[in-house]
Amino acid sequence: MPDRFWHQTAAIARRDLDRERRSGEVAWITIPFGAIALLLVPLAVGINQDVLSRIGTGMLFVVVMLFGVLTAVRRTNMETPAQRDAIALLGVDPVAEFAGKAMASAVLLLVFEVLMGVVALTLYGLDISEWGWMTLVLPLTAIGLAELGTISGAIATSINAGPALVPLLVTPLAIPLLLGATQTVELGRDGGNLSWLLLMAAVVLSLAIVGVLTARPLQETR
Amino acid sequence: MTSRIRSHWLDVAAAVAVIVGFVFAVASPRIATQGDAARMLFVHVPSIWLAYLSFTVTFIASVAYLFTRKLHWDLIAGSSGEIGVAFTSVAVIGGMIWGKATWNVYWTWDARLTLTAIMLFVYIGYLALRRAIPDPEARARRSAVLGIVGLVQLIPVHFSVTWWRTLHQTNTFRPRDIQMDGPILAALLVSVGAFTVVYVALLRHRYELARLEVEALEGAVAVSGPVAGDAVTAPTIGSGG
Amino acid sequence: MATILRNVDLSVAAGESVGLFGANGAGKTTLLRVIGTLLRPSSGRALVLGADLDGWERFDIRPRLGLIGHTPALYPELSLLANLEFSARITGAPIEEAGRALEAVGLGAAAQRLAGEASFGMQRRVEFAREIMLSPDLLLLDEPHSALDPSAVELVEHIVAGVLERSGAVVLASHDVDRVASMVTRTAELTGGSLDA
Repeated sequence: MPDRFWHQTAAIARRDLDRERRSGEVAWITIPFGAIALLLVPLAVGINQDVLSRIGTGMLFVVVMLFGVLTAVRRTNMETPAQRDAIALLGVDPVAEFAGKAMASAVLLLVFEVLMGVVALTLYGLDISEWGWMTLVLPLTAIGLAELGTISGAIATSINAGPALVPLLVTPLAIPLLLGATQTVELGRDGGNLSWLLLMAAVVLSLAIVGVLTARPLQETR
Repeated sequence: MTSRIRSHWLDVAAAVAVIVGFVFAVASPRIATQGDAARMLFVHVPSIWLAYLSFTVTFIASVAYLFTRKLHWDLIAGSSGEIGVAFTSVAVIGGMIWGKATWNVYWTWDARLTLTAIMLFVYIGYLALRRAIPDPEARARRSAVLGIVGLVQLIPVHFSVTWWRTLHQTNTFRPRDIQMDGPILAALLVSVGAFTVVYVALLRHRYELARLEVEALEGAVAVSGPVAGDAVTAPTIGSGG
Repeated sequence: MATILRNVDLSVAAGESVGLFGANGAGKTTLLRVIGTLLRPSSGRALVLGADLDGWERFDIRPRLGLIGHTPALYPELSLLANLEFSARITGAPIEEAGRALEAVGLGAAAQRLAGEASFGMQRRVEFAREIMLSPDLLLLDEPHSALDPSAVELVEHIVAGVLERSGAVVLASHDVDRVASMVTRTAELTGGSLDA
């Protein structure tokens, strides 16, 4: 890949992270909202510690899926028609744009996941003996969700119902990631979780391929 | 006129196919273990077959649109997607009714059922996306991408009964291991054929309707003389595209 | 899909500045966006800087185009300077050029102001700064005088002159003939989507 591709990818990722740093939408809205969701579950199902420790890992990833989707529709990830025109005329490689945006979203999602993990550990009293697998699961989940969010965001950009539509588009398609993540961690002790990890890797790779192949048609305004 | 005659014959063929399918289904031998409830087989299996077919056609037409930029491919993709959602719903609901009769529950967290329900939501999202974009060209390009991504769901749905130990029976059609009595298999194949003819007829009608909708939209905004409304600021074209 | 333009036959040579006039709704913005490769023509043939707008090469010429539209395209969360630096990084221009361009348009002191807190006129100046920095071969301006003070209007004239000196070309859309007359070498009028050049 030529240097210019990587420079553009880095510039796009930096732009998105700078915008997010200034706006603080993920830090001040998405993260607290996710934490509240984790807090709500014990209030709804009862505070039986055995139950909570059994469902805790799953609830963590459900919150990551549902609230992580909000990173895809954050204001700093959406662009106005004028901004899209400007990006196109700067000669941005559409694949670099996809890669840069996905990279920025993945970083934000990883931070979100780690913080939610800390909250879940605290509230649910989870057994972390198999959480070594999280070092693989969390990045894969973040990258997969970021790719899905970037593709869906590009599909829904400039549509009035876009912010409401993107979660509907992303969530069902993210379910293999949810299954892979929870099963990899829960089966870690007994073995047999490599196939789930491979499923996650396959989903991430497939989404990367789709993102690359559809980047140019989605960048076009007409 | 030729097109109308063709459409007419398709409708007749579909109606005949449904009647024949119904007759075969009713006349097929009773399955001892499940009784008459098992005749849901002749609706459930063809429905899910149609779902697979519909979404595969959506995928192919979506790819074709991105390559050719001919709008009729998008109209085919969207029409097939709608039919696919309808028949997936029939498959899920039919499966729930059959499940109640067989397993005594309407729903169980079985891999096949769950993944089929998820596939339904993926394509409901596809239809929601199409509804949200009024401009035909913008709608075509964006939903083509989703139409391609969505097909990925079909793989885990189909292989779910192989990959996981499930309550749902294994795949009905396994070329090297068809464990089904001849008359029942024949009735099933007739049903699948009947549903396929119905699909083609529905697709034709829905495509025609979509084509007319696009023509009506173009006719409503077409101008034959100077643009009216000099006092109106020129729109920023591409805001939906 | 509405038919917005028809019977448009326009050529612009290097060193020319064409004023595109017409009432609101005549199709000026649409024509600019077609020339800017942002809209594909549904019929007919268009060559811009040697590239056929119906082919993939239309993507290759984009870095040589500049467009300043109705609405500023700045990121409100970033500073005026950061917006320009982003354009520099994307195009591979030296980062220092961003600061110099901002100075050239009189916004050096406001470099750290967030674009979202800047006035429309200031945002427009930043877009002019971007075009100064990127030196396009073909500059497209849509209602460039909109909401600008006299010094900013001079800036537009300066930018147009700069492009023409480099043997580039300018297409300038406006409904105000008087204000742009001094900047154009030729005019074309759009009436109901049809061009009279």
